[in-house]
Amino acid sequence: MGEEVKKKSRPAPDPNSAKYKLGQIAAKAYTDAIEAKARGEMVGWCASNFPVEIPETLGLTVCYPENQAAGIAARGGGERMCNEAEGEGYSNDICAYARISLAYMKLKSAPEQDMPQPDFVLCCNNICNCMIKWYENISKELNIPMYIIDIPFNPDYEVSEDEVEYIREQFWDVIHQLEDYTGKKWSDERFKEVMQYSGRASRLWVEATSQAKYVPSPFNGFDLLNHMAVMVTARGKKEAGDAMETLLKEYKENHEKGESTFRAEEKYRIMFEGIACWPWLRVTSTGLKSRGINMVTTIYADAFGFIYDDFDGMCRAYANVPNSMNLEHSRDKRVKLCKANHVEGLLVHTNRSCKLWSGFMPEMSRQIGEACGIPVVSFDGDQADPRNFSEAQYDTRVQGLMELMEGNKGGK
Amino acid sequence: MYTLGIDIGSTTSKAVILKDGEEMLASSIVIATVGTDGVTQVIRNVLDESGIKEEEIGCTVATGYGRQTYEGADYQVSELSCHALGIHHVFPGARTVIDIGGQDAKVLSLNEQGRMVNFVMNDKCAAGTGRFLDVMANILKLDISELETEAAKAEKVASISSTCTVFAESEVISQLASGTAIPDLVAGICQSVAVRVASLAKRVGIRADVCMSGGVAKNGGVREAMARELGVEILHDENAQLMGALGAALYGWDKVKSVG
Amino acid sequence: MAVNELLAQLHEIATSPKKQLDKYLAEGKPVVLVAPVYTPNEIIHSMGIVPMGAWGADMELNEAKKYFPAFISSIVQSILELGMKGEYEGVSALIVPSLCDSLMCLGQNWKYAVKGIPYIPMSYPQNRKPAYGIKFTRAMYRRVINDLTVATGKHYSDYALKDSIKIYNEHNAVMREFAEIASTADISAAARNDVFKSAWFMLPEEHTAIVKQLNEELKAGPKAEGKVRVLVSGVLADSPSLLKIFDDNDIKVVFDDVAHESRQYRTDAPEEGDPLQAMAIKFANMDNCSFLYDKDKKRVDYIVEQAKAHDARGVIVLMTKFCDTEEFDYVPIKRACDAAGLLNLNIEVDRQMVNYEQAGTMIQAFKEMV
Repeated sequence: MGEEVKKKSRPAPDPNSAKYKLGQIAAKAYTDAIEAKARGEMVGWCASNFPVEIPETLGLTVCYPENQAAGIAARGGGERMCNEAEGEGYSNDICAYARISLAYMKLKSAPEQDMPQPDFVLCCNNICNCMIKWYENISKELNIPMYIIDIPFNPDYEVSEDEVEYIREQFWDVIHQLEDYTGKKWSDERFKEVMQYSGRASRLWVEATSQAKYVPSPFNGFDLLNHMAVMVTARGKKEAGDAMETLLKEYKENHEKGESTFRAEEKYRIMFEGIACWPWLRVTSTGLKSRGINMVTTIYADAFGFIYDDFDGMCRAYANVPNSMNLEHSRDKRVKLCKANHVEGLLVHTNRSCKLWSGFMPEMSRQIGEACGIPVVSFDGDQADPRNFSEAQYDTRVQGLMELMEGNKGGK
Repeated sequence: MYTLGIDIGSTTSKAVILKDGEEMLASSIVIATVGTDGVTQVIRNVLDESGIKEEEIGCTVATGYGRQTYEGADYQVSELSCHALGIHHVFPGARTVIDIGGQDAKVLSLNEQGRMVNFVMNDKCAAGTGRFLDVMANILKLDISELETEAAKAEKVASISSTCTVFAESEVISQLASGTAIPDLVAGICQSVAVRVASLAKRVGIRADVCMSGGVAKNGGVREAMARELGVEILHDENAQLMGALGAALYGWDKVKSVG
Repeated sequence: MAVNELLAQLHEIATSPKKQLDKYLAEGKPVVLVAPVYTPNEIIHSMGIVPMGAWGADMELNEAKKYFPAFISSIVQSILELGMKGEYEGVSALIVPSLCDSLMCLGQNWKYAVKGIPYIPMSYPQNRKPAYGIKFTRAMYRRVINDLTVATGKHYSDYALKDSIKIYNEHNAVMREFAEIASTADISAAARNDVFKSAWFMLPEEHTAIVKQLNEELKAGPKAEGKVRVLVSGVLADSPSLLKIFDDNDIKVVFDDVAHESRQYRTDAPEEGDPLQAMAIKFANMDNCSFLYDKDKKRVDYIVEQAKAHDARGVIVLMTKFCDTEEFDYVPIKRACDAAGLLNLNIEVDRQMVNYEQAGTMIQAFKEMV
């Protein structure tokens, strides 16, 4: 999500490249929303893992506060916005995406990334319960309706029929409420189309990210952090699938030609765990690249694989996103990614903003390390508040991880 | 009638003798913490300076973190109320008081009568307190009193963003290593304290006049950074550190007056 | 019995949960721990199991750090710490509801950190009011019943649950009455807390019997005079050092919105009809809590109304450090209090607190402002 920090002047990008296409789609999501608002249409704020099929089928324009917060943080506005929210009385322990978003709701503009004010909010707590509190505050403060699809954390490995039924009923409830409020109508035909687009984009995303199975990997995993913005905001649109197809093609070609977007010699391959440290993206990326460490995969490679055949399948898919799965299921997904992509080490971002993601990570990462026979190293950081990260600590930890991986190579 | 105010803080003890709630006859600051003989020393200092005998003191009021440990007081009052009283005496127009002490930072909101009507204090974290400045001064091998002059020499404010003191320490060290000038770093450190406390201040609402008290108020670097952050002029008195003790002595006068 | 004797009895129980655990085990009753915030205690009780509150303890955290990062609340961390240190030995299971992100993590960590005591999840729906939400709650209660049978060998029956619902509703009523009586009676903040805290370590019928007597005695006894009347809000308000500061400063708790205290007793399960359905309806009817989806933030209005109804001068929020659920609500609470002319204070607390000086200063200053 978001885009990489200030880019140095580079030659104009090729408009046929995946990077260009994906960048255009991500940027268009904002301009579309701004234009829709200007036309007098209703615009919603939407949680990143809310079933995009609903607003897309109804023809509602939505934008994504998490994506915006990441963008603001990546472009250096995180501290300013967090301070603003803290001045309102919000604790600095609250998720930094939420703090930035609550500050934006008040200021209504940010030079780093603007977005229209909402007429309603769409909340889904399959990534965390904090989401509910955050959206409650927006809804109350702006006096706008809040629609929620509650997907409880699943303590079991599989999603139960009871849970599928509960989710399905909520889908229809929210759809009907949105029809009433916005005047838009649900169409089964349109839903089928959106489902196809979303499925196509998801399948191509999974396949593109799986190209990291090759050694060396045809891409730098930090690419995924940017490209996934499209999977968050536009996976129900046809263009998303087209761009993903191009991405897959490029990665395949890279492999055939022995090229990669990882512009260094790939000496080590790691999995990165957690949300990116957006305010320190370049620092965290350079710390790896300078040592020849390529982050070949992350759980995001799997997270946006919304692949299903019918309505219940969709309900099940939204209950199987990373932060709603129990430790064992989460662990197994990661072990699979590590093994498929020949991962040699795990770097864990202990993210102060994300209690759910970090709260059982020490145990889970220990288990992943054991299952894959790889070293695990963690560092302290934050997805959007730059004040919770130490460059010196990061550097030492990454070097430590490298030395452990080096030791393993010697031992083989 | 004489009243004695004693402010027993975490790093210094302060005392003030006041005549009829108006005239400050003597004041003293001793660097010593709670539980040492700093309190005895600071009282002896003001008595000696004013030439007043202990039995002539009509009322003694203790404030500050050590207020409960001092048994010779007639009253003990929180330092928040005392700072409000002291500041109001010196600056009757003050409506917002920002006090940064060794262990904590507080922001008080006063009404027209100088009565405290609202306040906030820092959370459980040293960022934005005098302690943070001490740690940073230590790394730069500077005395805390040199921070102001160093900050004044800054050409550019270095960015110190970590809220965690341990992280900020490593941030300062790595900036030192990469050649950032000490004055720029000091300015950055002052700025960091100001930003933290400013967001606290916004919670109670900023109303002019805004006044700083407490030990850190002596540091012009922090005062200027605070003025920038809040966009208002910041008043402060030479005797910023004595405001708590002065307020305590005023409180004593008020008590004696109402009884007598 | 006199007020003092009754309070001494409850204080003893509130401060020695281990003794209570051993007592019930010696009586041959299995004990199941219930984690914050809400659990179906009527169901547990109806199966012949003693539900006992596990809200952690004021202690240093060592073992739990192997599982939790520093920024998870000390309530949750200390539950794990106690489990790892063997303090809960003898209990049959721990039930953890899905009401916040940190609680979900507690359940996952518990499975590996505390091997001898099974973890039973209770997934509550946040969309708890519509029929489908009630249906889901009911299904999840079924699941808890199955897990409890596996853990204890005890069985469920509708008849027994009907009886337990009556026992709990009576306890709720007695506790609500106590909160009202304590609003004017001469009772310290510490003693008031003992009444609420002891409830977590006793069978409700036993607790009801004592509190009923206490209510009668308090009604007849002296009234509190010259105190600063406050409403206290938060997850937990059981720290003896903090309550002592309240009492030393003549701060009187006239009502509470504390999860560990009054929030537990606001809602009764219907006594008619299918009892398991009644339990699900009870959850649907619960409101005014930071842990329950509340898009209109009715909780904020509730706090202001209750403060006014109990003639409170202000609201003291005891903010459990790192409890983001409560932290989000603080801003609207603060604004509503300011608008209603209620003084308000936010004191950060946690279970590892050893230094109460800042809290003491804040409370004293609060009193000086009144």
